[in-house]
Amino acid sequence: MNLLKSWKFWALVAATLVWSRMPWLVQNNYQLQVLFRITLFAALGLAWNLVGGYAGQLSLGHVAFFGIGAYGLALFHQLSIPLWLCLVLAGVVSTLVAGLIGIIAFRLRGPYFTLATIAFGEVLRLTATNSDWAGGAIGLTVPALFHGRTFWRQFYLASVALTVIAFIVNYWVSQSCFGYYLMAIREDEDTASAVGINTARSKLWSLLLSAFLTALAGALYASAFQFIIPDSVLTLEISVQIAIITMLGGAGTLLGPIVGAALLLSAQEIFKNQFRESHLLIYGVLIVLIVLFLPEGVVGGLERLFRRKPKAPASAKQQPALGGAAQ
Amino acid sequence: MTPVLELQNVTKRFGGLRAVKGVSLTMNAGEILFIIGPNGAGKTTVFNLISGFLHPNEGTIRFLGQDISRMAPHRAAHLGIGRTFQIVKPLPSLTVLENVMLGAFMHTRSLRHAEEESAKILDFLQMSHLSKFLAAGLPLAALKRLEIARALATKPKLILLDEVVSGLTTSEALALAALVKRLPEWGVSVVGGVEHVMQVVMKIADRVIVLDYGAKIAEGLPADVVKKPEVIEAYLGPKFKELTQ
Amino acid sequence: MIRFLQACADGLLTGALYALIGMGLALIFGVMRIVNFAHGAFLMVGMYATWVLFEYSGLNPYWGFLPAGIFMLAFGWLIYALLIRPVRNRSHFMQILMTTGIGLILTDGAQLIFHADYHQTNIALVNRGVHLGPFGANAAEVLSFVIAVAFVVGLRSFVVRSRTGQALRAISQNPEIAPLMGINLVRIQGFSFALGTALAGVAGGLLLPRLYLFPGVGEDYTTKAFVMVVLGGMGSIEGAAFGGLVLGVTESLVSLRFGNQWALIADFIFFLLVLSFKPSGIFGRQRA
Repeated sequence: MNLLKSWKFWALVAATLVWSRMPWLVQNNYQLQVLFRITLFAALGLAWNLVGGYAGQLSLGHVAFFGIGAYGLALFHQLSIPLWLCLVLAGVVSTLVAGLIGIIAFRLRGPYFTLATIAFGEVLRLTATNSDWAGGAIGLTVPALFHGRTFWRQFYLASVALTVIAFIVNYWVSQSCFGYYLMAIREDEDTASAVGINTARSKLWSLLLSAFLTALAGALYASAFQFIIPDSVLTLEISVQIAIITMLGGAGTLLGPIVGAALLLSAQEIFKNQFRESHLLIYGVLIVLIVLFLPEGVVGGLERLFRRKPKAPASAKQQPALGGAAQ
Repeated sequence: MTPVLELQNVTKRFGGLRAVKGVSLTMNAGEILFIIGPNGAGKTTVFNLISGFLHPNEGTIRFLGQDISRMAPHRAAHLGIGRTFQIVKPLPSLTVLENVMLGAFMHTRSLRHAEEESAKILDFLQMSHLSKFLAAGLPLAALKRLEIARALATKPKLILLDEVVSGLTTSEALALAALVKRLPEWGVSVVGGVEHVMQVVMKIADRVIVLDYGAKIAEGLPADVVKKPEVIEAYLGPKFKELTQ
Repeated sequence: MIRFLQACADGLLTGALYALIGMGLALIFGVMRIVNFAHGAFLMVGMYATWVLFEYSGLNPYWGFLPAGIFMLAFGWLIYALLIRPVRNRSHFMQILMTTGIGLILTDGAQLIFHADYHQTNIALVNRGVHLGPFGANAAEVLSFVIAVAFVVGLRSFVVRSRTGQALRAISQNPEIAPLMGINLVRIQGFSFALGTALAGVAGGLLLPRLYLFPGVGEDYTTKAFVMVVLGGMGSIEGAAFGGLVLGVTESLVSLRFGNQWALIADFIFFLLVLSFKPSGIFGRQRA
């Protein structure tokens, strides 16, 4: 496999190994928790990237899957189902819900699609808040997947594993026909249809994959903090955060979501006080700046700088090559 | 032999407006048919109807004998109907080759095969030297060819070329027309839609159909149709009918 | 039965205000095709503006909404010139992101300036009742209904009669033709955006006596506005007004039967139903 010969592959393997050793390099559990959140959001960004990056569908409702993962883990456990099975079931439920959402929402274009995704997220939040069996506004306790003194380290490693899986899925998509279909859909749905792409089905698949990964991340997050309320795992703000991370790093790129998560969440830690007071304001300004000046994100911008796919130079566009047709 | 395309009394309404009124036509394999008519005559609507982007309110459309009146566009593509769009729609963040490969993916899953097929098509359209460049920023003449290349990669039996030479200079248009004339070599029947580049139509069309306000007003060989009074009237207005008298 | 009709009446009264909000968005989105996810935030700004006038100069909101509206007109114009113009030709994706960002800035900015406290504005009118047969309403609601209806009618005749209004309608049908007709697209779009924003602001001002004021008060209204635009059909300003009335009545009936907290969910569900079954809306000509 020429993959094994690629220097990029080995660079990534090396980076992953280094990233996994982080728990032994940091001093305390709090820092480890921060790293956990960064890595988890990298996974979330990579999951969102499938729908928002490759397929170009702006979903601001991904928190729905995140929340289903979280609540799923807690609720299935209440039925005395073995813990790791709960995790899988939560993912499956999320995927089924994604199927439902996708069938309805993907028939809509542009802002209506985004509004529908927001609507689903909010309906879920309001339902959870008003439903006693889901803990209502008071919340639910969530079982811990890991125990003991190395609690945070294990959660951290799990998040790294999830990010690696999400990355591999992104990579596979970007290299396959399916990835091309998604990119075609992103650029122009009519053209995609005209070359035989079943746009509804492709979009749906991207959402199903994305939802499953997002739910796993949600379950992991909930389990690490052991207590959830609707306002902690079902808010629109989380959907927006995921979108910003990917846009900031570069939607439609492989490394973009990771870079974005690292940048945004590190900034959140460093400027913790400012963020606590006015994080929405900062998000808003970031979004405006990204849209105005860096729509393809950090990685996208860098890719453009070291242009791998060049634009045609003026000389190649000259008529003589095209004009001399066989008469 | 089954005609490759058959429209029977097709009507399409938008609200109160009838964009296409009772149009019928038959087309045999290997033909190059051109639909001409002034702006708003309904040519693009007919293309959208044939390729599944719109569905007729009345009448039927048959492709190789099969009723495709209510088919979704991607299904029509799989059956063998390819099309280009009047306003070119390249996929700007992909290269020229990748754009064409997208069409090839309809028949193969292998990236390598798709590349090979696409390279052949680009060669036919004399665009091989542009393969590795991004589709964004190419001149119109190249983009028009790219549209054809991408459609051709889906191995269609019928290709719809909507205003494929509009916007090009005369020499560009004639060069492209010469290539269009050769499309039947790829096993493709061609329906072209043109508003006013008559030189092209005269040179390469086997048959011409004229639409005006959604209705068919003339049909026949290019040289004959162009002289008909009703056709001249449609384009230039009633005053000019006297020119033919 | 009486309660049902009373709820309908209440819904209509509220619906007129909604109509203002919906028409504002119809101008921006339906006509100009600019996706504005900050519409609710503009309503909130208008509300704060009216409140500030009330707090610091005692101006009754039922007068105060006018200067607030004019302020919002200028404010909307400024936002358009600085932030919307650069993205007006870009994808919906980018417009949604941009306006979402603007909304966040406005909402959090309001929180920084005014803090998260809830403010209640007490106007004497709110406590006075008006009775028509077995139906009651409070005087404040009736007054804001009348004002809202005046605006709706005024806007409609502006769009139909005035040259600017006709330019707006021309552009909504065919944006490419506009420059050929000598219409300065940017100026008209800016005006349309400013006007739409001002309408949201006016609605906010009129809502001030009836709601608790806090930075997040506008959030739900963006969704409601889009629901109205969809209900009424793209590009139809009258449709959005009608959508507002429908929404008002629907919410009122849902609240009657299920309680207030389900009203918003009902909005969403209604929205999804309309988009699934009749995407062109009730008056609409084009697909959503």
